[in-house]
Order: sequence, then structure tokens, then C-alpha cells
Amino acid sequence: MRKMFYAKLAWTGIRKNRKFYAPYLLTCVGMVMMYYIIAFLSVSDLLKGMPGGETMQGLLVMGCGVIGVFALIFLFYTNSFLIRRRKKEFGLYNILGMGKINLARILIWESLIISGISLAAGLFAGIVLSKLAELGMVNILAGNATFTMSIAPKAILQTLALFAVIFVLILLNTLRQIHLTNPIELLRSESAGEKPPKANWVLALAGAIILGGAYYLAVSIEDPISAMVWFFVAVVMVIVATYLLFIAGSVAVCRILQRKKNYYYRTNHFVSISSMVYRMKRNGAGLASICILSTMVLVMLSSTVCLYIGTEDSLRTRYPRNINLDTAVSDVSLLSEGRTATVKELSSEIAGQNGQELENILDYRVAGWVGYIRDGRIETESEVMYSFGTESNIWQIYLVPLEDYNRLMGQNETLEPGEALLYTTKLGSYPDDTITLEGGKSLTIKKRVSDFADNGVDAMQITPSMYLFVPDFAETVTPLLDITDSNGRKMISLHWFYAFDLACDDDTQIRIQEQLQNALNEANLAGEDGEVVSILCEGVAKERSGFYGLYGGLFFLGILLGIVFVFAAVLIMYYKQISEGYEDQSRFEIMQKVGMTRKEIKKSIHSQILTVFFLPLVTAGVHLAFAFPLIYKLLALFSLTNFKLLVIVTICCYLVFALFYVLVYRITSGAYYSIVSGAREDG
Amino acid sequence: MSILEVNGLKKVYTTRFGGNKVEALKKVTFSVEQGEYVAIMGESGSGKTTLLNILAALDKPTSGTVLLDGKDLSQIKDSHISAFRRDNLGFVFQDFNLLDTFSLEDNIYLPLVLAGKHFTEMHQRLTPIAARLGISEILKKYPYEVSGGQKQRAAVARALITNPRLLLADEPTGALDSKATDELLRLFREINQSGQTILMVTHSVKAASHAGRILFIKDGEVFHQIYRGNSTNEQLYQKVSDTLTMLATGGEKK
Repeated sequence: MRKMFYAKLAWTGIRKNRKFYAPYLLTCVGMVMMYYIIAFLSVSDLLKGMPGGETMQGLLVMGCGVIGVFALIFLFYTNSFLIRRRKKEFGLYNILGMGKINLARILIWESLIISGISLAAGLFAGIVLSKLAELGMVNILAGNATFTMSIAPKAILQTLALFAVIFVLILLNTLRQIHLTNPIELLRSESAGEKPPKANWVLALAGAIILGGAYYLAVSIEDPISAMVWFFVAVVMVIVATYLLFIAGSVAVCRILQRKKNYYYRTNHFVSISSMVYRMKRNGAGLASICILSTMVLVMLSSTVCLYIGTEDSLRTRYPRNINLDTAVSDVSLLSEGRTATVKELSSEIAGQNGQELENILDYRVAGWVGYIRDGRIETESEVMYSFGTESNIWQIYLVPLEDYNRLMGQNETLEPGEALLYTTKLGSYPDDTITLEGGKSLTIKKRVSDFADNGVDAMQITPSMYLFVPDFAETVTPLLDITDSNGRKMISLHWFYAFDLACDDDTQIRIQEQLQNALNEANLAGEDGEVVSILCEGVAKERSGFYGLYGGLFFLGILLGIVFVFAAVLIMYYKQISEGYEDQSRFEIMQKVGMTRKEIKKSIHSQILTVFFLPLVTAGVHLAFAFPLIYKLLALFSLTNFKLLVIVTICCYLVFALFYVLVYRITSGAYYSIVSGAREDG
Repeated sequence: MSILEVNGLKKVYTTRFGGNKVEALKKVTFSVEQGEYVAIMGESGSGKTTLLNILAALDKPTSGTVLLDGKDLSQIKDSHISAFRRDNLGFVFQDFNLLDTFSLEDNIYLPLVLAGKHFTEMHQRLTPIAARLGISEILKKYPYEVSGGQKQRAAVARALITNPRLLLADEPTGALDSKATDELLRLFREINQSGQTILMVTHSVKAASHAGRILFIKDGEVFHQIYRGNSTNEQLYQKVSDTLTMLATGGEKK
């Protein structure tokens, strides 16, 4: 009987405050649902069985962790907001004779109800939607799926355990807060007089400087490797700066405006600026969080969408042709007609047996090594190369015969011995006119060319590649072949690339690839002692699913996390609007008594809400714009260099996000108006 | 010349449920002359606040008219009512109604800013008023930093800065200690002596005894009025408290 009394009190408490509890419950349900879906996908047998599924599940396990941590932080945040609103009620109970123990009982019941509802509803929604997510994922992996419903007990247990812990932690925190305050404070906690915020110039300035620094970093970094190193530094700087600027900077700006008397004492500015100061002080942190969440969503979405859309591009760069044969040899003489002719014959023969012809043939010789360029010299000492700070001068070097270049690119360039054509990839550039190879041979760069065949090695590496096309290939390469590192391993490898396209479906391609591989093994092309010939045979068709597993997984995860973050941003906004509504209620009542017209009040409210609301969106846009060069360079590491695609995808993401944001604005500002004007109707 | 004429004012509230009708004002008729200092007294629920709300154009009467400077308040369009209130009426409230986000100075400027006045003009207007009310030193402070009396003086400054035709005060001493009350009443006297018309609603005998004329409202009607004549504050105080006793014990209408 007594037990039910507390449960009843808890239930009415929640119902009476449904304006606050409904969104909180919704968040909890949403978080549980999202977590279950991701956990479910990460253990789904259906996915595990698919090509590329394992890669994707690896990513999903990571996503699980991210969402778990995020749920903890975020639910804590929203709950603290709820507690603040309800302290008055608890104070009243306390004064009416309820001890802290009794309050604690109510709170325990409350959290039981909340966690019960959110776990039940969240798991239900999660189970219902998980199939949908699974189908979406299968679709991304380009496979077929059955439509049978399945439940993963392991994922359910995982979800239950995680959220039970979170809810218990939240409850403990609430109890601690109630325990620490006395009833008078509980009663009063909402209406405590507030000091006018002082502008903290130091912090504001620091924020501006840090942001400037981060932007400079983002824009000035040239090569992708530094971009990767500095990306995280820039992210941290931007986060810190955003918080500083929203909290201190905004107040400082308002203060400056207040000092300009002729600007400040205008009907439009007066009320807005002065309340803005308080608004920013109270909500600066919340707004900064919204801004950062928005930026994260945007960066994540635009890059993952871009990667996913660009998967075929990346595949093509990584595997320039449908079937790629990479023959590594130990001496230039081994690249002679005899052996290569055998490989070519075998290729067309096997293709012919499958009713196919070789198309788009790629055929060139190359000597490749990794070098460190210093003062116009390519060096290979590993001590220098692998020490910190040199990463931006590391290059993949390729020497290619000029005749191969001319043949492949349909050019007719001629060079004297000692001259070379230069081609660089991945935003790398080499400004000097001569370059000296190990061993002292110097090459004059006669011309820079803008294109050459794609190369899988270049696509896999984060370093840029430098192609040197020389007329006297054998003479230039031979002396280099003897260079070894301290372990006696050869530094330079000699290759012959032979690759071709096939106009057939993936299954046939895989069959051809396997037959070719077997045939090459049997042909035993290795020569006499000490001569090494090894042939690597790769096909796009076989690798495609792995690529989709990775990029599709990133894409899927990007969307899921994007939804969660947007969810969070919306909720922060909603609570912000509601709490401000209550704070502004009495203020606008007074203003009306003093002679402010309804129209003026509405206008003032509108301009303030608009500023507060769209400041994060605009800032996120600016952040995104400055992050763009960095993202571009990072994506270059994933062999995605389609600038136009990235621009379009980024802009689309921003627009879609902005649309969504405006929608949320309309809904939440409706709630705000109704609170503020409710007071006016009464007055 | 009468600055305010109230004729046959009636206000009936309909309760939200069941349509019970409550007559807050039955038939109130009185007028206030230019330069007068009138106090309106009455117990809780006598209709004081309703009356003041109607005078302030915050509420509309069920019937009857209010003429301010010969202009019928009910004839003013809704869109102009706020501007009208701002330009013609000054308000002093029991709970000050200062905005805690503004310094005292900015609080006082508020009506002028809303009226679109230029800063230099506002500043010129404020200086003498602040000096007279003794708040020149604390203008830069915020409401939470000053005492109740100082807050109320700032609120008076805000009411006066528009040079209103009529100053309406709703229990202005209600939230003040006795010292601050004396100080405020003295200021009201001075302001009145310099020509400002004041209408004050109160149930403090002391506050009422500073006025030039006291109206008593009971059950929604003007029940009685006392003119100061040549009485001192103390004599008036006695008269007022006698009247109140009579009202409370259910004395006959004079």
C-alpha cells in the first residue's frame, strides 16, 4: 500500500512534467533503439556470412562503443536539466514533511518507471527496425537477404546491461544532488538572482586566436600526411575555441555593442542585446555543443557519403584494370620479350576460352622505391626516412621507360639521356629542375606531365608518388638495383605491370582470374639461379565486396551516428527553448506593462531566437568550410580525389541538415512562443 | 480641469467553469483634477486592482467609460494602446518590476528607448530626475545589487521620465520597510508639489495619509472620500483609520 503511494507520486510527477519528461523519454528510447540496432548488426550472422561483412562488423563494434559513451554523457546532460526544473517540487515535498529518504524513494520509483519504459519501448523499436537496418546494410554490401525476422539475445543483453548501468549512475547523481541541498534552496533554486555576466576578454581573445590558428592549420596544410597528423589537433582546437567563443566571446561582443550608446539604445537593439548577454551566458555551452555536434554530423556525413559514392572510383584507382598482373623481377634482362610474351599469350588464351577479349590493356615497366627527397636528392637511408618530421618529404619514386609512357599515353615525347619527364600524384609537388638519384646520377626535368596510368601501389599509400620517365631505362636502373638497406634487403624493386579490362560480369571475371593464376603458376616463369620472377594477379571483382564492406560500413555508420547526433542536437535545442521560455515569461510581462507593444515583443523574441538558433548552424557551416581542405586531403588518402564530388556532397549535406534544423526550429520555437505568450494572456 | 474622468465603471468577470459571474466593480465614478494626489483605499477583493488595470488600459470595462484628458480609453485602437500607455501613463508597482537583465539606468531608459528617443535626449532627461530621486550614484548598478527602496526609486524614475499625464502607483510601499516607505512617500509629495498628478492604490493608512484626497472602495463602489483640507498628515492618518474601522465594522454609508 505504502509502496504504491510512492510509485503513484512518481508517476504523477512524471505525468505533470511531461513537457520535460516526454522528450527525455524519447531520447532514452531512441538511444536504446540505436544501440540495440548497432549491436544487433555487429553480431548478425547474416552479415557475417556476406563478403565484406566482417569489415563492416568490425566498424560497427567501434560504433557501438561511440554510441555507448555518447549515450552516457548525453543522458546525464538532459537529466541534469530535468533535475533543475524539478528541484522546486522536491523542495515543496520536503517542506510538507517528506524526508530525504522519502524523496529518494520517489526518485527510485521514477527512474524505475523511466528506465522500464525506455528499455521496453527502445528494445521493441530496435527489434522492429533492426531488420530494416540489416536489409539496408545488405543492400550496401550489394548482396541478397531473406526476409526472416531475427532477434539477437546477445545484443539485447548487451543493451540491457549498458543502459541499466547508465540509469543507475544517473539515479545516483540525482540522489546526490537532492541530498546536498536543503529545502529552502530546493524551493528557490530556480529563481536565484543572477549577476550580469562579465565579459571575459582573455578567454574571448584566446578563443578567437585558437580558432584562427585552427583555421590557418586547416587551410595551410599541403600534404595529406601532415593533414592526418594535424587533423586531430585542429579538431581539438576548434572544439575548445568554439566553447570559448560561444561562452566568453559572445558576451564580449554584446558588451562592446552595449558600449556604443547610439547603437544600443534603439528599440530593436536594446532589449535584444541585453537579454542576449544572459542568454549566451546560460546557453553558451549548450549552443557550442549544438554547433560542434552539427559540425561533426556534417563532416562525418559528407566524407562517408563521398567515400561511398566514390567507391567505384576508388576501386578503379586501386585496381586500374579488371585483372591486374604485377610481375616482380630481380633484373632488367628478365623483362625481355620471352617472358612477357608468355604472360600475354596465357592471358588472351584464357580470356578467349571464356569468350572474352582483353580490352584497355595497360602494359609498362617500372622500377619503384621509397625515397626521401632532400635538397634535390633522392635518398634511401632508412634512419633519415623513418625519423619523425620527415614524413612530408617521403616519396614513392617510380622510374618508367619513356617508350612505355609514349605508348600508353599516345604521346611522342623525345628525351636525351639524362633528361626526364616528371609526374606527381596526390597533391605532391617537386619544384626543382633537376633531381639526383642515389649513386649520383642527375636527371634534368625537361617537362612536367599531368597524367599517367593509375597505380594500385600509389592508391594504397598515403605518400605521394613521383614518376620519372627516362629514355635510357636499363642504364638508369641497373646501378640502382644493388642498393640495399642495413639489413641487406634490396631497396628497389623492378616490375612489369600488365593489366586489362574484361567486358563480362563479376563471376566470369573471378573465374578468369583464378584460371589465369593457375596457368601462370604452372608455366613456371622463373629462370636460372638467383633470378626471381613472381607474379601477383589481382582482380577488381574479387576485391569489390571488401571495398564495399569498408566504405559501405563507414557510410552506414556515418548515417547512424549522424542520426544520433542530430537527435541530441534537437533535444538540446528543445530544452533550451523551453527553459528560456520560462525565464523570459516574467521579463516580457514587465516589458508589456512598461509600454512595449505585443508586436515589438514578438519582434524582439523573434530576433533573439533566430540569432541564438542559427548562430550554431552558421558557425558549423564556417567550420565545415575551413575543414574542407583537410577533408579533401584526408580523402585523398583513401584514393578519392574527386574534388567536384566532395564539394557537391558537402553542400548537399549542409543543405539537408539546414532544412532539418529549420524544421526543428519551427517546432521548438512554437513551444517557446506558447510559454511566453501564455504569461501575457494571464497578465 | 479634470485629467481623469471615470464614469459608471462596471466590470464583471466570468469564472472559467460553470459561468459564475463575479462583479468586481459595480459602479465606480470619480474624477481626478490636474495636479491632484489621490489615494484609493479598500480591502483585498474590493476591486482596487481591477480598477487600476482598467485605468492603465490593461483591461477593458464591461460598461462605463474612462476619459484621460478627454480621450476615451476604450476608443483607442489595440495597436496604439501600448504607445498610448507609454506616452501618457507612468507606472509604479508594488514589486518594482525592474528587469534584472538591465542596470538601473537602462531600466529607466526602457520606455524612452521603446518610444524611439535619441540617447542624448534620454540622458538629458535622466540627469535631473535621478538627482531629485537621489539615485544618481547607483545608476550603473543592477537591481539585485541595491535595496528595495532604491529599486522603487528607480522604478519611479522610469515612470517619470516620459513626463506622463498621470502617475499610477499600485501599492508602491507594499514591499518596503518603514524607512524606505517614509522616503518614498516624501518623494511622492515632492513630485506632486512640482505638478505631477498621482493616483495611488494602497491599503496602507500611512501611504494614504500623504495624499490630497482619499477614495474608499467597498464592494465595487466608491463608498466614501476624504479631502485633506488643511489637515496635517497625522490628522489625516487618524481620519483614514477611523473611516477604515467604520468600514470594517460595517458602518452605514454617509
